[in-house]
Amino acid sequence: MSAPRPASRPALSDKMAPFADGRRLDGSLLRQLFIGQCLVLALHLAWMPVWLLALALAVGGYRWQQWRRGWPRVGVVMRIAAVGALVLALRAHYGTLGSMDALIGLLLGVYLLKLLETQDRRDARVVVMIGLIATAVAFLHDQGIPMAAAALLAFAWLLQSLVRLAGGRDRRQAWREAAWLLALSAPLMALLFVTFPRLGPLWSMPRLDRASTGLSDQIAPGDIAELSRSAGRAFRARFEGPDPAPGERYWRVYTLSHFDGIRWSRATPEQLAATLERPVGAFVGVGARSPWQAPATARFRAELLLEPDSRPWRPSLGAPLATGQAQRYLADGTLEGLTALSSRGLLRLDSSGAAPAYPDPAGSRWHRLLPVQANPRTRALVERLWRESGGDPEAYLESMMARFGEASYRYTLSPPRLVGEDRVDDFLFDSQAGYCSHYASAAAVMARMAGIPARVVVGFLGGERHPDGYYTVRDYDAHAWVEVWREGGWQRLDPTAVIAPERIEQGPQAVEEGAEAFLADARFSALRLREVGWANRLRLGWERLEYRWQRGVIGFQRESRRSLLARLADGWRAAWAHLEAWLPGRGVLATTLGLAALLLMAAGVALLARLGAHRWRLQQDERRLVGALQAWLAGRGLAALPGESPAAHLRRIAPRAGPAGRALNDCADDLERLAYAPLEAPERAVRRRRLSRRVAEVRRRLPKPKPRRGGGGAGARETGVSS
Amino acid sequence: MSVMAGVAPREPRRERLRRWWRGRLATPIDAPLPQRRLFLIPTRFGLGWAALVVVLLLFGINYQNNLAYGLAFWLFGVGVVALLRGWLNLLGVMPGLRLPREAFAGGEARLGVVLRARRPRMALELHCDGADAWLDIDEGVGEAELALPTPTRGSLALPWLRIETRWPLGLVRVVAWVSHDAELLVWPRPLEEEAPTARQGGADEDAGDFAGLRRFQPGDSPGQVAWKQWSRSGVLATKQFSAPPRRERWLDYDACRGDPERRLSVLCARVLAHHRAGERFGLRLPGLTLAQGEGDGQRRRALDALARFGPSTGEGAR
Repeated sequence: MSAPRPASRPALSDKMAPFADGRRLDGSLLRQLFIGQCLVLALHLAWMPVWLLALALAVGGYRWQQWRRGWPRVGVVMRIAAVGALVLALRAHYGTLGSMDALIGLLLGVYLLKLLETQDRRDARVVVMIGLIATAVAFLHDQGIPMAAAALLAFAWLLQSLVRLAGGRDRRQAWREAAWLLALSAPLMALLFVTFPRLGPLWSMPRLDRASTGLSDQIAPGDIAELSRSAGRAFRARFEGPDPAPGERYWRVYTLSHFDGIRWSRATPEQLAATLERPVGAFVGVGARSPWQAPATARFRAELLLEPDSRPWRPSLGAPLATGQAQRYLADGTLEGLTALSSRGLLRLDSSGAAPAYPDPAGSRWHRLLPVQANPRTRALVERLWRESGGDPEAYLESMMARFGEASYRYTLSPPRLVGEDRVDDFLFDSQAGYCSHYASAAAVMARMAGIPARVVVGFLGGERHPDGYYTVRDYDAHAWVEVWREGGWQRLDPTAVIAPERIEQGPQAVEEGAEAFLADARFSALRLREVGWANRLRLGWERLEYRWQRGVIGFQRESRRSLLARLADGWRAAWAHLEAWLPGRGVLATTLGLAALLLMAAGVALLARLGAHRWRLQQDERRLVGALQAWLAGRGLAALPGESPAAHLRRIAPRAGPAGRALNDCADDLERLAYAPLEAPERAVRRRRLSRRVAEVRRRLPKPKPRRGGGGAGARETGVSS
Repeated sequence: MSVMAGVAPREPRRERLRRWWRGRLATPIDAPLPQRRLFLIPTRFGLGWAALVVVLLLFGINYQNNLAYGLAFWLFGVGVVALLRGWLNLLGVMPGLRLPREAFAGGEARLGVVLRARRPRMALELHCDGADAWLDIDEGVGEAELALPTPTRGSLALPWLRIETRWPLGLVRVVAWVSHDAELLVWPRPLEEEAPTARQGGADEDAGDFAGLRRFQPGDSPGQVAWKQWSRSGVLATKQFSAPPRRERWLDYDACRGDPERRLSVLCARVLAHHRAGERFGLRLPGLTLAQGEGDGQRRRALDALARFGPSTGEGAR
């Protein structure tokens, strides 16, 4: 079928108003394309280099001028130069072209530049297609509700510009068609979304790396105070079964076991294996269950909705015991994912709710290591306390914690800076003001000085409970505490609880001192409006929506799909059983027949409704009504003559129509008055109703045509009526 | 239109096969386009769209990105719905032809195509023998004219009409072929003689005196109708004038010079000229004599006779 393309005829003119059959795009279509580009660009706005906006303006402005003032087309050399400049600019901006950000920038830049060489319908369609790809790529940045809504808008816009390209006459028609397309295809989309099997990644793709907020690997004093300035969400958790009490919500993320006199740092399993010359497998186990502790001890079962992060950490309430998918279970009782999360992910987790009950394979010696020289004043204090407690570790730890309560320690989010060599000394004896990491660090050092294995645990404490029952844990909930090894298990010690119990119970916003640092970086956060009732309700409502979206749509992966399908199948089975019980008869056949009968009835009702609508429409339009009557008359051999008006037709046959004659004449009068007389709306309606009655009367009263005899009235069209 | 180009093999079996295939392919004119005669052919853009769906699906799989999944599925759904709506856009359209009243060789015939449908239809393309047009159906009817070239005189069998639509997205072309047996009689190209024959002077310029009325007959010039009479009595009548005796003319093939086509062209031009002048004329062709007459009827008869005349008569008809 080598059909000649309709566009193959020479273009009629440069500025064709409708895009009927010409090759060129007119100005309004170019504007449509450009607005579509801007909408797609808006999806990337927060993540792309700002100068791409200038590029968009330049390209759009040039095309506008070209259309308005007849500037020349952009030549091949210029286009190649523009792409080259784009590549160089991206290289300068990102330092490399290989990163995902640079690739996305390249896609957007080429998408914009393509407008320069968009001359005909095919080019325009290519532009729209690149736009669709760029829309999908925007989902790498974010998958929240605002992004989805903006993407839907862009998608609808692109779709309607395609309708315009296919011959839509005006904006209204194009939008109507696009709306039909979107609405009719939405159920299909939803069905496919639910039923399509979710596969794992087929091959590895370049990933976006984001500067991550939240906890950092090396904790220097002051880091956690930085976090309290941020309201970023760390994760959300929903518990199956009982919720933990406020004092139990210690989310362990990682442990710090190495102290160099100034800062605590983390030893990864690989580092430990290298340092202690043992296999890595001794420090980490991969699987869906913890190799270190029996899962039977699980107290809490939670479903975590994790925010994307460049590090593979997975918070766990106490020691992790079992998870939905395979994870890395570290020997220090923390959990890591196999990969970092590039988008939000769901994690099902059983955990103990308490510190791990198994020894760290790194050994107790590793957890007692301290620099010998550092912090002499602390060492003296430890020796005194140890003597006073009579060499009993329990008593020693008690008196150590009690000392934090007795001395004039303050909990503040903006403590004075410590710069000396013996920072623990400086903190314990001089400044005596700090926050969780200061206290945890000092307590761990004091425990180690007494020969008790100790480590600092970093994680989150608390979380805001949403009325829907899930907890939102934010960056400012970050916390540090201490674990000490006592008699076959680790034991949690939180010196902050002694100094600022309100921090444990109510969160960091409850701490008054240094409160100006709290949420300092989130000046416009809705969290600042906690006190305002309606604003807080609004915020909670939005968070609920957001949570459901993230959990139900974005987190819809293999397991949720399986459970949803199972639920649907159960529902179907239940409905079928219900139907079987309700319909008479037994067995599948009877039920099917009953169902078929129901469907048939429904179809009958639909048909009747349609007929009724048809009749109603007929009554609304006198010309149609009379037209139908004329057709009916023609069927009885009383057709109109060629060129005869309807009224004349009715009048002509009236004398020979017997009892229907008067009605026919009235019909003709009414029709003429309705057609020509300037009537008010009420009178018009009255006459229309009367006309409809008269038409029915004609049909009733018109005598039946005489049955035809062989050849008798052949060809005579008007002899059918007994006159 | 390779369908129509593949003509000529003489074997009856292939001929039968071809006829069967053509019958399978096309819809007769003046009938609604049925489901089984609508053909869906993906366009290049449609294939690109399919590729895009696959690419976005792979994107969603590899990045485990549910919104990309959703977009891929939505594009797929939109494609399916566009296919359906494009198909519905052509289904049930009733094509009809309006043959041009006159067509001269060397010009173009404006073939009117009337498409009727109850629902509004968008962006229908008409193709016929290289000519194309674009129309919408609003309020039940849409009309367009196709400018068909008429290179030669004689009876011209019009090729099939192809109706297609790429509505709503251009992903798929819905095509229907409409078969018809309309023939167009193409009159010869009028050729004015270089030296115009001496015309009689302005002596009898005026049309003549009013002589009375007679019953209107179809074909009478509207200018001759007694409209005043009609408005009074409702009876259409035609005014008659007592034409002054004019010289009655015979247009003779044998009296012209040149090859047959040229002679026919000259005769055609003369017929037109005499008709314009309102004269009576007759036509003598070898083997055919048209009695003298006047008016539109005579003109048509004479031009038809010229179109059908001679060796090239059988060529156009298949």
